[in-house]
Amino acid sequence: MHLTDEQLNEYLDNETAQRAEIETHLDSCDECAARLSTLQALFADLDSLPEVELSRDIAARFSPRPSLTPSLPRWLTLTASLQAAAALVALIVAIPFFSIMIPQIETPSFTTWLFEIQSIWISWLDALSNYQLPNYQFTNLPTYPVELSTLFIALAIVSIFWIFGNGLLLRNQNR
Amino acid sequence: MNAPTDRDLILRARRGDPEAYGDLVSRHQTSVFNVCYRILHNRADAEDLAQETFIRALDRLHTFDLEREFSPWIRRVAANLCLNHIEAQKPSAPLDEERDEDKTQSPGEQVEVKERSEQIRSALASLPPQYRVVVELRHYQELSYDEIASELNIPLSDVKSHLFRARKLLAEKLHAPD
Repeated sequence: MHLTDEQLNEYLDNETAQRAEIETHLDSCDECAARLSTLQALFADLDSLPEVELSRDIAARFSPRPSLTPSLPRWLTLTASLQAAAALVALIVAIPFFSIMIPQIETPSFTTWLFEIQSIWISWLDALSNYQLPNYQFTNLPTYPVELSTLFIALAIVSIFWIFGNGLLLRNQNR
Repeated sequence: MNAPTDRDLILRARRGDPEAYGDLVSRHQTSVFNVCYRILHNRADAEDLAQETFIRALDRLHTFDLEREFSPWIRRVAANLCLNHIEAQKPSAPLDEERDEDKTQSPGEQVEVKERSEQIRSALASLPPQYRVVVELRHYQELSYDEIASELNIPLSDVKSHLFRARKLLAEKLHAPD
């Protein structure tokens, strides 16, 4: 009487309580020993299957995208800080100019503005009907203090820093 | 400094640290992919299912028993997903012709290994889906008959019959006299 396939399988899987009896039979039965060898060869084949590498990194999907701030180079961080500092200095410089300038602005009333606009409009219509442009001078428009060059320079510097800094940040983000 | 254990990474991932889960995936993605590839024998499907496995695992991470090993658990999740995938998708996708490679061997030996590996993969792919999964769980994940029955929610007798028939079919394909 030979061993069944189930007995041989369970023997190799260590899932039998009859190990001793099966081994005794295998020692004396060439046919069952040959069947066991075939099964062992299959086990060896399955064990020999090598692992295959992934063609893409699945983990990348789960890892957070690196944030912009830590990836900024040191010099760019310095530029941004410098930009903020320049803006602050420009603001401090600009405050006295504004405090001087604002009271000096003569603001005409709303009604005066409306009359001005109406008269300009009428004179334009006249000029159009006569095929000639009027030579109109604005008289009631506000006037500004002359010494604005420092303020404009400061604002221009801040603007340049702002444009330059943001350009660099956006370029870095698009990479 | 020692590398964090799987348990550490799981705890951090549970607290909402996505980097920790990314590290965990990085650590196990190849073995999970290979589970899928052995069962599906199609690289694109195997990669998609491996990714799906980690997505599912992330959803269930809060229920994972920290006393258990993560690797066997995630590989069993992958095997189950593959089985569901095969059963839901008929007819099956075309099988890959990809060959395995072992760079430690000579070119002649490599060709032999590739051919033999391909024969084994093809033989596995020709099995019915349930047989493939039982072979995967027994041979590659080393689960006992009882554990396979519990994992697949099938009777112990079915586990044995699937496994023994699968082996018989594989032996006929792989050890048939030329």
